[in-house]
Amino acid sequence: MFYTLVRKDLLLELRTKEIIIPMFAFGLAIIMIFALSFNASQEINHAFSPGLLWIIILFISSLGLNRMFVLEKEFDAFTLTLAAPIDRGTIFVSKVISGTILLLIAEIMIIPPFIIFMNIAIPSDWHIMILILLIGDLGIMSIGTIVSGLSMRAKLSEMLLPILFFPLVSPHIIACVKATNYWFKGLSFINWQAWIYLMLSFVLVFFLLGFMIFEYITEE
Amino acid sequence: MKLFFSNRINIMAAFVVITLMVFNIYNIINNTPMVPNQFWAQKIFYFHVPIAWTGFLSYFIVMIAGVLYLINKKNFWDHLGFAAAEIGTLFVLLVLITGPIWAKPIWGTWWTWEPRLTTTLILFLIYVGYFMLRAFGGHPERTSRYAAVLGIIAFFDVPIIFYSVRFWEERYQSHPQVEITKQNPEIIIPFLISLVIFTILFIFMLKYRLHVLKVIFDRKNN
Repeated sequence: MFYTLVRKDLLLELRTKEIIIPMFAFGLAIIMIFALSFNASQEINHAFSPGLLWIIILFISSLGLNRMFVLEKEFDAFTLTLAAPIDRGTIFVSKVISGTILLLIAEIMIIPPFIIFMNIAIPSDWHIMILILLIGDLGIMSIGTIVSGLSMRAKLSEMLLPILFFPLVSPHIIACVKATNYWFKGLSFINWQAWIYLMLSFVLVFFLLGFMIFEYITEE
Repeated sequence: MKLFFSNRINIMAAFVVITLMVFNIYNIINNTPMVPNQFWAQKIFYFHVPIAWTGFLSYFIVMIAGVLYLINKKNFWDHLGFAAAEIGTLFVLLVLITGPIWAKPIWGTWWTWEPRLTTTLILFLIYVGYFMLRAFGGHPERTSRYAAVLGIIAFFDVPIIFYSVRFWEERYQSHPQVEITKQNPEIIIPFLISLVIFTILFIFMLKYRLHVLKVIFDRKNN
């Protein structure tokens, strides 16, 4: 069932491309604004880029979450999903996983232009960055899915989502920026593993909490 | 529909709370020792810490009320959560105002990104969102449910915020809450009195707000 739900989200995206393309275009626009407004020396770009990268990811993820749940609202699709004999926790997990996959794809599209426009050199062990991105995205999507569920049917839902989402996700973003920063400076993993554990604990807490609580969010 | 102050016990309670608070302010101004090199700035300890304590206590109540509301769907728990959130946010706002007043003369800066300050600020922002959710949530029963969920999530976010900022900003700074435990009885006793009085004030405010919310609710449903 879980597999079917994830497959549904991804297939929908493959056919409409309504989430990834806007995320990518929006990300590109922010990168351009950052690069132009800083227009600084490479050292400054180096110092700022982990923070900037996560700001971009946060913005595009809030855009993506909004789109994901607007799609569900159209034609009342979500009501039908809820009417199906599926555990609500499973729906939550499927949303988190499909959201994470979409966000990862958008990030992989965003990062090359980010590196080029910000004029930065990345360390050679880039696979560690994939790990940081993966854990980061899981955390963002866990809390993001809960908050989207809360704001989805409210008036002004587009506005309510970031207002609720940004403060709640802020500790996770701090950890992501810190981990990225240490990786970027080329420090060995031992020095900054605490940040990875912090990110993992955030993912764990909100993944489990969402799994337990999603039933109350989606109840009619 | 009865007015809150048409009950004689409530009038008495209001009178007692006001008297206690006046006594508290008098006690703090006159009967507490001047701390060397902090002077008058130190007196804000007696307000700042009890206010912070009541603020966090009310957010704890929001969480408990949220859990109980989700379990048994009684309106009382919803009202309790809402009332505690309102009072908690008011108190946390006061903490965010009194903190910098103390910090400016002692630390030399209004604000630093330090665990307690950051946690309090983020929590305040989450609760700003909480009231927006309450206001724009749509269907009342659903809004209550969502607010309960948000109260629970916000509570679970607190330790993570605290530790993430603590890892990040490692330098130690003196703190009203930390320092107060190391003081002598001359300071501790007025402080504890102030703590108790602020808690009583909080309970009184909560009772008043619960009454008002119930009146509003009854009026909407009749």
